[in-house]
Amino acid sequence: MNDFSATTSLMHGIQQLLRRNFVLTLTVGYFIVMSALLPAFASSRNLANLSSNFWPLLSLVIGQLLVMIVGGIDLSQSSIMALASVCGASLMCQSADPVVFAKAPLWNIVFSEQGGFLAGSVFAVSAAVAVMLTVGILVGFFNGFAVAYLKMPPFIVTLVSMMFFSGAAIYLTASENITHLPTSFTAIAQKRVLLPIPVWIVAASAIVVHIILQHTAFGKKLYAVGLNAKAALISGINVPMVTLTAFTLSGFFAALGSVIYSARLEGGRPTLGQDLLLDVIGAAVIGGISLFGGRGRVRDACAGALFFTLLANSLNLMNLSFFIVNIVKGGVILLAAAVDAWRVGKSGGMSKR
Amino acid sequence: MSRKLEISKSFRIDVTALFTRCMPTSIFIIVFLLFGLTSPRFLQPESLLNIAKQASYIGIAALGMTLVLITGGVDLSLGSTVYLSTIVAGLLMRDYGLSPVAASFVCLLAGAGIGGFNAFFITRLKILPFVVTLATMIAGRGLGLLLTKSRALEFPAAILKVGAFKLFGFLPLPILLFALSATAIQLFLSRIPLGRHYYAVGFNAENARRAGLPVDRIIASAYVLCGICASLGGLVAVTQLGIVNAGFGKGDEFDAIAAAVLGGAALSGGVGSAFPGTVIGALMIRMIWSGLVSAKINLYFQPMIFAVILFLAVMLDTRRNMIIARQRRKIISLRKDKQT
Amino acid sequence: MTPLISIRNIDKSFFGAPALRSVSFDIIPNRILGLIGENGAGKSTLMNILCGELQPDSGELYFRGRPFRLEGPAAAAEAGIALIHQELNLFNNLSIADNLFLSRYPRRGPWIDKGAMHDKALQLLHQVGLDLPPNWLLERLRPGERQLVEICKALHADAELVIFDEPTTSLTAAEKERLFQVIDGLKQRGKTIIYISHDLDEVMRLCDDIVVLRDGRMVDFGAASEFTLQRMIASMCGCELEYLFPIRQGTPQAQVLLEVRHLSAEGLVEDVSFEIRKGEILGLFGLMGSGRTELARLLFGLEPFDSGRIVFNGRILEQPSPRRCIELGMAFVTENRREEGLLIDGTVQDNLVLATLNRFVDFARFLDAEKMASESEAQVRQLNLRCTSLKQIVKSLSGGNQQKVVLGKWLLARPLLFILDEPTRGIDVGAKYEVYSLINHLADEGAGILMISSELEELTALCDRLLVIHRGEIIKSFTKDQFDAEKILEAAFHL
Repeated sequence: MNDFSATTSLMHGIQQLLRRNFVLTLTVGYFIVMSALLPAFASSRNLANLSSNFWPLLSLVIGQLLVMIVGGIDLSQSSIMALASVCGASLMCQSADPVVFAKAPLWNIVFSEQGGFLAGSVFAVSAAVAVMLTVGILVGFFNGFAVAYLKMPPFIVTLVSMMFFSGAAIYLTASENITHLPTSFTAIAQKRVLLPIPVWIVAASAIVVHIILQHTAFGKKLYAVGLNAKAALISGINVPMVTLTAFTLSGFFAALGSVIYSARLEGGRPTLGQDLLLDVIGAAVIGGISLFGGRGRVRDACAGALFFTLLANSLNLMNLSFFIVNIVKGGVILLAAAVDAWRVGKSGGMSKR
Repeated sequence: MSRKLEISKSFRIDVTALFTRCMPTSIFIIVFLLFGLTSPRFLQPESLLNIAKQASYIGIAALGMTLVLITGGVDLSLGSTVYLSTIVAGLLMRDYGLSPVAASFVCLLAGAGIGGFNAFFITRLKILPFVVTLATMIAGRGLGLLLTKSRALEFPAAILKVGAFKLFGFLPLPILLFALSATAIQLFLSRIPLGRHYYAVGFNAENARRAGLPVDRIIASAYVLCGICASLGGLVAVTQLGIVNAGFGKGDEFDAIAAAVLGGAALSGGVGSAFPGTVIGALMIRMIWSGLVSAKINLYFQPMIFAVILFLAVMLDTRRNMIIARQRRKIISLRKDKQT
Repeated sequence: MTPLISIRNIDKSFFGAPALRSVSFDIIPNRILGLIGENGAGKSTLMNILCGELQPDSGELYFRGRPFRLEGPAAAAEAGIALIHQELNLFNNLSIADNLFLSRYPRRGPWIDKGAMHDKALQLLHQVGLDLPPNWLLERLRPGERQLVEICKALHADAELVIFDEPTTSLTAAEKERLFQVIDGLKQRGKTIIYISHDLDEVMRLCDDIVVLRDGRMVDFGAASEFTLQRMIASMCGCELEYLFPIRQGTPQAQVLLEVRHLSAEGLVEDVSFEIRKGEILGLFGLMGSGRTELARLLFGLEPFDSGRIVFNGRILEQPSPRRCIELGMAFVTENRREEGLLIDGTVQDNLVLATLNRFVDFARFLDAEKMASESEAQVRQLNLRCTSLKQIVKSLSGGNQQKVVLGKWLLARPLLFILDEPTRGIDVGAKYEVYSLINHLADEGAGILMISSELEELTALCDRLLVIHRGEIIKSFTKDQFDAEKILEAAFHL
């Protein structure tokens, strides 16, 4: 009898754990299983690799989270990354091949054989990073303006800006990668201050966003707009401004991701992040962020991004082809979404916030 | 006198309704004239026929997308469906000597299968269409690349001969198939109960369920039909190209969505038509691309202009809907009182 | 006479909370059965069982003496039961004819027989006196006309039993009359009707039998002729509520709080002038679409106005926004709380603090969680809001408690002026009384109140003054000693 009640309470405890931290539990379980199956998985080299994939992705997912909370979606993050990468790299590169770039519109205006406009300057890297982040903010602002003030559907707006700005990134550089970036820039991804620099940057952003969402009036307003924009408006919330801010922040975090990726890849790539849309949406879905708006936390974004990084990494270690990796990724997203739908249905639509 | 008042008011509403319906067409005419004025060669019959021919592939696929959009969903896997279904047919022909007719049939079947796969996850497991079809898009292309080992797949030469067929000596096969599918889908949407049910489900699925409609089956049929349309579009393209390379169909779901939206369909569901709607939308997209090419615009610059045009069209459409909604509210409030 | 449907010992509970407990009664053919009860008494659950949406946990249903089960709305339609929901089950993007025949189109082969559909639609519409072209899009119809379309659907399905769930909440008086005639017509054609309403006068007038539910039990049953208003109310709340309305004791102060001069907005209102004093309850009466809701939205900055002047508490409002209005001390309770009033998937506390978020911010711009909880808790207690905790999702509250959440949200902002648009719509008698008392109390404390309602009774009981609006113009004003239902109605109908 006693035994029975102990078992049930244990079961209940596990149930609670699964309901509240389902994805995190899953991620830990997956990590343990994979470490047992693949010896290379838990090696320090692979862990470093995991970390270098995880943090920039998390930056993007946090941006996506903010947009999703207000009930939107941002398909343009990948194009923001590409454009920011190209703009930043062309400004600070130390030399460029005239044969390759002769036809690029930016040639001889922003950068030339002797490198970018800022090349050699003390402020080259910081100014270029500032430009990259500004590009992200501007594109995000444009998306937000079209959605919030022109009342256009977010899907179409960000689809169009994906087309336009990835087109722009390719156009500006005539579809070539810009290399020869200053080492002080590539150091962003390669140097460590106790921990790798991206960890500091993104973890700090995640904590700030978490605090904003849970402990400030602005956070509550974001959720309110996502739950019911009309009621939020009548309750005195500046709905367009809140929406605009969410999209702008998404652009900012995409650009932040771009800084880290560009530093790691040591170049400005007009095609940067082209296949990342799936990873970002996938991580958001796996984390349990609602595409209807009003539901999702930073820790969901973390859990989703972490799981997705582990998954992709373990598939790579298994030496599977790129194609099979994609098939499995697609399958896992479907599975995660199905489990989430089932779980939310089970708990009677309880709010997860 | 009050009767007269009523008539004049109902007439006023009808004018706005007419304008609503004609919006895609009027944008179409404006774009057409714009390109016509900049390069007169553009207006010649051959070049127009050419545009229609080139529009056929994306147009047929966009017809399927329109069905899905009307039910309030979206199919991002359309491009991968095009790719996967055509290479299944191509491989069967190349490796197993299947006849082109049988292979075409298998191609459509594969399209229906992928649509059914999407439908299963959407209706049975209640996952958002956006998420399901995004996953299918990635996984489907992965599977296709796996099957072809990411090499281009050549089709038998006979296919190109079929593709060169012209009805009455002037109507090319793609246009013929496009016209036939557009007619069939439009009749389906306006004259078959299932087609009307799409609009009901897209307006409010819960209401439709309460009205006793089998909502899940209705939604599922839209994705299956969309899959079939996508693979038919793929077949049409193959008859023109004779070859399927690794990037075939990639990103075409966005062109299909653009065509449907330019044709007046809404992502929120419940609105849209095959003809004139999506047909006009597909022609417009093709026309813009050809116009950009004939205007000798920088290759890398073209997608940007295309994006701007799409943005402006959607913006105009949004504005217009807001104005109509505003106007309608006022008219109704006047009409209401007249009665009493 | 065999009953059309016998309900025997039906039980139903949700997540352990009983909604129906051993309910049994008969539905006699060719009679109108009134079903009344407070919100949460189990009316909707019972009706959802009758139309196949829900399955009972135990108990039986008999159809003409034979046991039967209803699985799904389609089965109920098959059995000849039609439910006309409070929120109409129609599609604005389709034509009237499409709406009528959606689940059973007249066909020729696989095709819809457009000609037959048109003729049949005209005929059905004529039966309810709605002579409109069947190819009109539904969105062009007024709420009352849409109600009639819904009835046509029931006619077309040749339903034996037609259930009306709160059909008159959004109708004008004339449309109500028309609806009653149609219901009488249905009865004369041998149909059976269940009529659910909060409007007890309507029930008295229309019904042959009355069933009263309370807390999931049937507590009273009888012929309508045996019932009085007092008996209905007593059975519904299980107590003797002597008055429907609290007595208003306070009187308006002299200071003018809101002054509106020559306000015009094209197509909405024209040359509207009035003022509200501190401590005054000003009623605004008008038919649906007379511009009464539009006027409220204009005052709260939700619609722009073309000309005129609004002076609130000594300040001129130039093109106000809701945010500005709230800052200055206005509150707006909208007529549809689900769509515009509440974060329906949010918690009670989220909703309560929504309009005053900036007040809970500390010096470092962080929200003070304790202060939010304690002030919310105080509101819950003050309003007698029944919820399990501040974290309960608003969706799972009853209509009356949801309305209290909306009111609580505004009370936290301590406004000077309340604009209340249909504050008692769709809530039960007990909760209504509480809302009335609250309004009285607020006025006594010096707040100004603009109350919009389609229930003339509550306006005359509560208000100090009453304005009648018609086609966007204020056409008459009544002081308390001039209140006369007939005269006010005459003005509203512009006779």
